Amino acid sequence: MDLELSDEQAELRDNFRSVLEDCCSPALVRAAYEESDDGDSLWRQQVELGWPSLAVPETAGGLGYGFVETALLAEELGRAAAPATLLATTSQLTPALVEADDDEALARVATGSLRGTLALSEKGRFDLDSVATTARRQGERWTVTGTKDGVLAGATADLFAVAARDPETGFVGLFAIEQTDAKVERRPGLDPALLLADVVFTSSPARLLIAPDADAEARIARITEPATVALALHMVGACRNIFEQTLAYAKIRKQYDRVIGSFQALKHRFADMYLEVERATALCYFAAVSIAEDDPERGEVAHLAKAAAGDCQRLLAEDGLQLHGGLGFTWEQDLHFWLKRAKAGEVLCGTSAWHRTALARRLGLASEGDA
Amino acid sequence: MKLQFDDATLAFRDEFLAWLEKNRPAAEEMETDPAVSSAHAPDWARRWARRMFDAGWLVPGWAPELGGRNAGAVETLVYLEALTEAGVPRTTNPQGLGIISPSILDYGRPDQVEEFAMPVLRGELTACLGMSEPDAGSDLANLKTAAVRDGDEWVLNGQKVWTSGAAYADFCFLFCRTDPDARKHRGISIILVPMDTPGLEVKPLKEIVHPDTPDLAEVFLDDVRVPIENLVGEENDGWRMANGSLAHERSMVWLDSVLAIERSMAGLLDHAKAWMPALTPAERALAADDVVRLYIETKALRALGYRGFARFVKGGNAPEQALMKAYSSETSRDLARIASEWNGTDALHTTSGRSNRRRAIGGIEGYFNTFGSTISAGSSEIQRNIIAERVLGLPRE
Repeated sequence: MDLELSDEQAELRDNFRSVLEDCCSPALVRAAYEESDDGDSLWRQQVELGWPSLAVPETAGGLGYGFVETALLAEELGRAAAPATLLATTSQLTPALVEADDDEALARVATGSLRGTLALSEKGRFDLDSVATTARRQGERWTVTGTKDGVLAGATADLFAVAARDPETGFVGLFAIEQTDAKVERRPGLDPALLLADVVFTSSPARLLIAPDADAEARIARITEPATVALALHMVGACRNIFEQTLAYAKIRKQYDRVIGSFQALKHRFADMYLEVERATALCYFAAVSIAEDDPERGEVAHLAKAAAGDCQRLLAEDGLQLHGGLGFTWEQDLHFWLKRAKAGEVLCGTSAWHRTALARRLGLASEGDA
Repeated sequence: MKLQFDDATLAFRDEFLAWLEKNRPAAEEMETDPAVSSAHAPDWARRWARRMFDAGWLVPGWAPELGGRNAGAVETLVYLEALTEAGVPRTTNPQGLGIISPSILDYGRPDQVEEFAMPVLRGELTACLGMSEPDAGSDLANLKTAAVRDGDEWVLNGQKVWTSGAAYADFCFLFCRTDPDARKHRGISIILVPMDTPGLEVKPLKEIVHPDTPDLAEVFLDDVRVPIENLVGEENDGWRMANGSLAHERSMVWLDSVLAIERSMAGLLDHAKAWMPALTPAERALAADDVVRLYIETKALRALGYRGFARFVKGGNAPEQALMKAYSSETSRDLARIASEWNGTDALHTTSGRSNRRRAIGGIEGYFNTFGSTISAGSSEIQRNIIAERVLGLPRE
């Protein structure tokens, strides 16, 4: 097992990072917070760079990269606390369209003319069992009715990939619904740059992506796994930025005539933070390569990655804020963009507890009947 | 990034497995005559070392005359994994094979290599490492055991403590002060001291578990005389060599810990399935989460270790390696604690001190045993200082 980036992957990551430092500065994130800027100018730049086409297969006019590269982009977008349109389009909509072989929509993603996201979770639950949204078939046409919440970049999506249940069979399938056929309620909330929205569908015309049948659950997992791992790495990217900012601050901030980073009480906390970030990074990369190689254990490793990202955000948000002292508590200091991005990630794509519970089931530790 | 080894590496692994199948020590002899100390080599262990040495499987990365076959780092890694999976110890004298012999090969003279290093590799001698003293634990450079030249001999006086395997070793790789006036890191030398030298006394230290088979010992030196040529390397250059010798196999030591934790984790999962049905659903959910958290740590350790290793193979820095000591020893401790806490009154059972049973899962004594790793070879607290100062660049206190 080799979990170090290849030279080409490292070069791509460095490219993402340097471009984002330039075109997604903290000032741009601040505009999302203070001026309801959706990051449209950033999106246009990202389209010019060809980034939305990264994971689109070459047959549909994309660059045809594997999932590792998509995950690296997600990590760097987290490092920049970037407006979430590109994260959602590359790690949520694109896997759905790939699984559905929807080359026509993929071609539009590749040219930057289609932005979108996954609309799965209801009442904060990220599992198919909780899907109450219905999909009804009339002849060859489907309509979908229900409400989705916490939809990532729902505010800027042109297309939603919606999980909905066929009441006839009880199976959940996946459906493409245009933004114009949905009611989008923005939920700027804690981190406005996530562009979260609740989305209401009322007999909305829907195009079938994944048929609601016995295979659907496994096929939808092939979408939620990359979505989950990308979000996990996105959180870790935000956490690494918190770590670097906090470490830099501890090296210059003086109290009692010495830099605070020389105190052993802080050193040990930095060692622990460093471990959490490296540990979560290693598991996320493990998950990314497992998905890229379509390893049979990819589902388990995706749970590991998100659970580890949860541990990481817990420590880094807490110590990052604490060790900045009063400074980190102020709106004017940029630190809170990453604190909020890291914390928000915990409740999207399944909480740590949800993923650990799923692991317990996979490991045979939960008895039948245990909720 | 990739999940699998390449074909050449897998072929190397198959070649080793085929040899291992034919030449490994039998499970029965290991069980009947277990090593009871880190410098105890039962007959089967001596024969096993010799077979591996002769076949070039003892240290695959070394040249054939040193018991190797000039293998690469990745090949060495799959070799170590294969040994562990087969349940065969590579050595019963890990400090001799992993630290002392390589240090003598690096810094010793040819006659010292012939007299001390090679016999350890061939399983003829075992060795212990004389470092810690009552006032020199984490602060090793504070050591006071003195060596004074008298004609063509060194005269040694002082005391070592926590010396693993001292009661069984044939010689000690001993750190001592040869210049009392130099600054503390500057006046340290390394001297090879046969354990049967007059004036050297070993007092085993009973441990809180398995007091019947202690591995740790105090070593008292009272006018112990050894030939002047037993000095390793340059006089007063011991501190630099210490950093070298402790760094030996640094790229690989993580693997032993990870493999041991994976074995424990597999045991815990098996064990958990036996005791979980007796719990109430609420208890079972708590227990399952405890076990899952440990499972995540186990996977994370391997991922972190492999990531650092890949960087090492590519010739880069591997900051992950600095994390592995504290992280793996603390995970090992946590695993043992949780396994014992869910084990009911069985957790109170004790086992005999035979080393092959020390790894049993679910006992509180096993939990206590794990503190050997969080305390020795640089305590977890020292590891955190090292990470903060050397990896993260925070200033010294």
